[in-house]
Amino acid sequence: MEKTVVQFIVENILLFLPLGITGIVVTIILFFMSKQENIPETEDLNSDFKTIFNFRLNIYVLVYLFIWIMIIIIGLSSNFIIPTIIGGIIAAIPLILMMLIELLTKNSKV
Amino acid sequence: MFFIEINQNFGEHTRLLAPFIGIITIVWLLFIYHSHKKYGTKKTIMYFLPIIIATLFIESAGVASGRYYYPGYIIYLSVVGGSVPLIIVLAWSVNLFLCMNLGKHFISTIYQKRNYLQIIFISTTAGLFGVCLDLLEDPIAHYNSWWIWGASLEGIKFFEVPILNFVGWFVLIFFMSIATLLIEQSRFSENRKVLLSITSISITGTIIFVIHGLIVRLFEFTGLS
Repeated sequence: MEKTVVQFIVENILLFLPLGITGIVVTIILFFMSKQENIPETEDLNSDFKTIFNFRLNIYVLVYLFIWIMIIIIGLSSNFIIPTIIGGIIAAIPLILMMLIELLTKNSKV
Repeated sequence: MFFIEINQNFGEHTRLLAPFIGIITIVWLLFIYHSHKKYGTKKTIMYFLPIIIATLFIESAGVASGRYYYPGYIIYLSVVGGSVPLIIVLAWSVNLFLCMNLGKHFISTIYQKRNYLQIIFISTTAGLFGVCLDLLEDPIAHYNSWWIWGASLEGIKFFEVPILNFVGWFVLIFFMSIATLLIEQSRFSENRKVLLSITSISITGTIIFVIHGLIVRLFEFTGLS
């Protein structure tokens, strides 16, 4: 009979409790005992863009696109057509949103 | 408690497992290189190690509880009785790094203020993007036996994948993103941030455990699971 991960953890609480408590205590000590040194720096998100053949491409969008294409190819070549198409459409939403936001930014800069 | 297994029968009972492992390996190496180049070693550890440790425990518990299992991989790790392929925990680090950074780019374009609300927005976006990707990946993975869900699992399924799996994806990416971003934007030294990112897994893990447990109860109560 399968259990949920939560049920499994509850049943093995003697294993997880010492680990959890140790971690929580150490985190609290680290959080309150340390002096805060650095001024948080602003992240330069422009370094995530690569220019290839005059096209400015976001590395994360490219990687997502790569995974999306490869998984779709695997899905189609396993003859798992309908779920691959439906999943492919849903998984394309982040890509579309990222491209839209990129377009809007480009237009507002012009 | 912790052990490593080597499986001699690579790809057994699976289809197209090698391309899947290839994709994860390429992307993981690319992200490690990019992160190291952009942020340095300490921040790269901060981004990748906590999610690897957290998912090692979660996945190992998932396998030990009999919900699913992973046939045909080469290197397996086990911490609480269930064997999890090394590539799966690396894939989780790819998921978090990818979705969190997509979330950062998406949200920072429409909401520039650097505050807690921005962190919530980025984490929510990261979680939703992760679920979108998993809605493509998980049914194909189940169909090709990269991981196999228990047949007697009840409730609503999306092409044989339990709906609670997608809830789990959102909860995990959402809370791990919050923890990572809070530590990243804190004023602690880099060494302290690395230590905090590892020790805080217990706090993030407890929150994930409680929230996911409540959602499971709610799903059981409403008959969805």
